[in-house]
Amino acid sequence: MMIEYENYVAATSVAEATKTLAEGNATVVAGGTDLMVQTAASGRGANTTLLNIRRISDLRGVALDGGRVTIGALTTITDLLTDGVVADAASILADTANRFASNQIRNMATVGGNICNASPAGDMIIPLLVLDADVELSAWRDGAVTTRAVALNEFFTGPGKCVKTEDELLTSISFNRPAEGFVGQFGKTGPRPALEISMVSVGVGGIVDNGGLTNARVVYGAVAPTPIRAAKTEAALEGLSLNEASIQSVLDVADSEVNPISDVRASDWYRRHLVRVMTQEVLQNVANG
Amino acid sequence: MSEAIEKTTLIGKSITKPDAPDKSNGRTRYINDMVLPRMLIGKIKRSDRAHAKVLSIDTSKAAAVPGIQAIVTADDTPMVGVGVTKDNPPLKKDIVLSMRDELVAVAGETEEAVDKALALIEIEYEDLPAIFDPAEALEEGAHQMHDDKPGNLSLGYQTVHGDIKQAEKDSDHVLDEVYDVHYVTHVCMGPGCVIADFDTHGKLTMYTQTQYPYNYKMDLAPSLGMHPGDIRVIQPPVGGAFGSKLDVYPFEPIAVFLAKKTRRPVKVIFSREEEFSASPTRQPARFHIRAGVKNDGTLTFRDVDALLNNGSHTSWGATTPFVMMRTFTGHFRVPDVEFRSRAAYTNMPYAGSFRGYGNVQATYVTATVMDKLAEAVNMDPISFRLMNAQKAGEITPQNSKLEECLLGECIETVAEKTNFLEQYNAFKAEQDSPGRYKKGIGIATSFHNAGGAKIHKSDGCGTVIMLDDYARATVITGASEIGQGIDAVLTQIVAEELGIPTENITLVNNDSAIGPWDVGVHASRTTFIAGNSAKRAARKARDQILDAAAQRSNVAADDLDLRGGSVVQNDNGVPVMKIDSLLRKMHFAGEDAELVITHDYYEPPSEPEGDNHVGDISAAYSHGAYVAEVTVDTWTGVVKLNKMTAVQDVGRVVNKLGIEGQMEGGIAFGIGYGLTEEMIIEGGEIKNPNFRDYKVMTAPEAPELEFHFIENDDPDGPFGAKGIAELPTIIPAPAIANAVYNAIGIRFNNPPLTPEKVARAIVDKQAAKVAAE
Ligand SMILES: Cc1cc2nc3c(=O)[nH]c(=O)nc-3n(C[C@H](O)[C@H](O)[C@H](O)COP(=O)(O)OP(=O)(O)OC[C@H]3O[C@@H](n4cnc5c(N)ncnc54)[C@H](O)[C@@H]3O)c2cc1C
Repeated sequence: MMIEYENYVAATSVAEATKTLAEGNATVVAGGTDLMVQTAASGRGANTTLLNIRRISDLRGVALDGGRVTIGALTTITDLLTDGVVADAASILADTANRFASNQIRNMATVGGNICNASPAGDMIIPLLVLDADVELSAWRDGAVTTRAVALNEFFTGPGKCVKTEDELLTSISFNRPAEGFVGQFGKTGPRPALEISMVSVGVGGIVDNGGLTNARVVYGAVAPTPIRAAKTEAALEGLSLNEASIQSVLDVADSEVNPISDVRASDWYRRHLVRVMTQEVLQNVANG
Repeated sequence: MSEAIEKTTLIGKSITKPDAPDKSNGRTRYINDMVLPRMLIGKIKRSDRAHAKVLSIDTSKAAAVPGIQAIVTADDTPMVGVGVTKDNPPLKKDIVLSMRDELVAVAGETEEAVDKALALIEIEYEDLPAIFDPAEALEEGAHQMHDDKPGNLSLGYQTVHGDIKQAEKDSDHVLDEVYDVHYVTHVCMGPGCVIADFDTHGKLTMYTQTQYPYNYKMDLAPSLGMHPGDIRVIQPPVGGAFGSKLDVYPFEPIAVFLAKKTRRPVKVIFSREEEFSASPTRQPARFHIRAGVKNDGTLTFRDVDALLNNGSHTSWGATTPFVMMRTFTGHFRVPDVEFRSRAAYTNMPYAGSFRGYGNVQATYVTATVMDKLAEAVNMDPISFRLMNAQKAGEITPQNSKLEECLLGECIETVAEKTNFLEQYNAFKAEQDSPGRYKKGIGIATSFHNAGGAKIHKSDGCGTVIMLDDYARATVITGASEIGQGIDAVLTQIVAEELGIPTENITLVNNDSAIGPWDVGVHASRTTFIAGNSAKRAARKARDQILDAAAQRSNVAADDLDLRGGSVVQNDNGVPVMKIDSLLRKMHFAGEDAELVITHDYYEPPSEPEGDNHVGDISAAYSHGAYVAEVTVDTWTGVVKLNKMTAVQDVGRVVNKLGIEGQMEGGIAFGIGYGLTEEMIIEGGEIKNPNFRDYKVMTAPEAPELEFHFIENDDPDGPFGAKGIAELPTIIPAPAIANAVYNAIGIRFNNPPLTPEKVARAIVDKQAAKVAAE
């Protein structure tokens, strides 16, 4: 299907972009790797104005400031693979980037786009939830750019849906630099090692302590309408000394907490099965150091 | 005189395909890129019901969209069917039989306008009971799809040899199993496309992706109410065909209807989604096989019932039993065999021809059955196969003459190269020990025609060769180039015969008004048939040149040779004269003037099938033996193919680069068939018509590949060569399935071995074990 936009705006500042959004009927395009596929297939995202934000150079890059890591919305997946701050402070992001799409897509795809697309299978969301990230939303209100912060954990409301309003631009993502002893693990499954939409993805993080994790985080993708933090599983894991039997008990909790559906990619049975074996894998990795 | 020129050969060397540089740097103008002056875009409105009465079609709103030039429905057409049994009218009237059924076609100035118009077409339906399972379609009282096809029966085949009842009594073990093989599709990179253009005399030029330009005219003409002679077929470069362009499909006459109505060229081009949902598939089938063996390992009989889902209409898919049965009856020495197939109409998509043509399906069955039978008599997979492999000179029940049978040599070679038995036994011993990752190794073998297949009145190909005053050759061949590399092979063959460099040869094969007849690209026939024709035409040119040289020198033609652009003395290579100056002398010889223009039509020494499907249908046959080495992740069910070692009887390698490319591409198809590719169809609708959810293999999971070509000149092949194209697609899937069995002790009679299917089987097996304990 061909889509005709009436206007095209290539903004070079957050002010210009948010002003355009305030005028209404605009669709943001960053890397376009979700948007172009969706509009071509179903017309989703079609609007009067196409707003290209890729020329807002302030929105690209990773910074560490006062113990807080900030990632610009336009930071690409490839950037995460090569960034020094990421490697040093949050390597789980690079590990995830390493399982993301293909080189060509990684060069175009942005972190902000991955979040705003709000897919339950969005890969970058998983480690960012493990890291307790917040997103910064900017809008043009009363003649100026105003911002608000939303916990990523409260950002998603359903498949393709989030609390961001139509006039808001996601400008950055930030989280506290994880404490000493933090480990984070990401896992994803599909028949192909590359170019795969996750059937199930899992993220686990925490501070290694006494053969277990404290401040444990467990996150699942593609098992519910949004990526989820598994609170009960986190509680079961908290401070637990990890061995074969205790890992099995955590898996039972995880199994009770997810509610996957059957679709063309996998049955609910298989998704549940993957939740178990992939959680087992990352917990064993943690246990084995 | 200048220095002697040594005798060298191009055969077996690696020659870059002439079209490769343009394709890799983006210069090739594919048919999809073509724009003719005043050209319109045509698109098709398809049914959104699997089976329904069409109560009304309202196109008034669509016609009002600015830029729309024509709208056609069945009422504007002769309603003559296309396809193998002509049961498929290009535009459907009153009844739709599948989701892909074409109802309305629109031509307009822009794609946007046509999209808008399509969305405004209003169609009223009344649903009819839909049938998706072929067994249900054959039940009594099932809804009748086509008035003239009682019982929903499409095509059926049967071949009977010997006495299977007696053979069963003589068997010590009888295997009785059912296999279900699935829907996959060609996934051509260049989606379906055609441009139809009339001249003022009413003659039609078709720019098409067809892979059989000559009979295409004959098949297309009736649906248009035209004479085939008034159609000219131009074949611009295509992005893949693999069998999917071996028939006429409705979008082609539809483009013509629109062009006729608008008096302007019309291009119809598929979206990727249409390429998945409206081009043919590989034929799915349910096989019931019974196979017997004696305790000493001798095969006794095979009895096969195949039920094919014909889908709504009939294309080549329904004829694939023709090839399936050669494998069931002729692969390994089986004295008593019966094969029966029925294709039943349903409201599903329909299958076409697809690289491997039925043998991909049949070999999945035979190669895994061979493994199971070996196990039943406690033999290893290698000795069991060797003991039952035919030897040179044997003849199969359907009369395939295995003059050069190299099956045993293929098996022995692959077993040795992979250290098969040692690995096999070690992995088997590890099956039940703890551990997440399990390794396995498996072998499969195949049997396929490799010297054409006489299914039409002629299996021939024509060639014309012309040499100009500069010793540049133009080779006009009937053989189509659809990416498979025939351009390189023919160039090489002609260069070899004429002693001129390959870059001095221009190949012409894209215009039915210029090229001589050829039956089409199928049956792995082109190197063999077109190669022989080109070689023979070149030989005639060579003889003419050598005669002329003999007349102009003191050397007899028999003592002359053509090398490096010169006529030389055969024994010492000393040049006698340059070919180009000789050609000029021949040309400008006054009353004796002659040009070197030769032609040849080659008909292979094969015979059509007679009663009971008996006949030596191919001029050559080839065997292959491949070994797959896998690692199974028993947690996630992911099967990783680590390595594929392929041993193939090829007669003689002509273009080394070309044959390796054919092997790699064919194996990639086979791996997809075995592991990941599957069209998911629910209620007649394809649920994964995109590259996201239809999983073709990508580069990172490509396994290590090792090829060994067994070269033993075929007496009839050009320079000894046999066909290759389909052969490597046939074996990978069952080799993988046998390797997975070696790793985890589970059989899969229903490819592909997706992670979910494998994981589920492992969990079920563990549960059964626990329950038993
Ligand atoms: C072949 C292929 C493979 C893929 N593989 C993966 C994979 O492995 N894992 C995965 O998670 N995803 C994958 N994707 C999906 C996609 O690449 C990612 O979701 C990507 O991160 C999207 O980023 P983008 O910049 O391209 O977003 P865009 O397509 O530009 O935008 C996506 C959506 O977000 C909105 N948007 C974008 N940026 C902003 C912003 N700053 N503020 C407000 N709204 C915004 C857009 O309006 C649009 O609705 C794949 C896609 C393709 C085509």
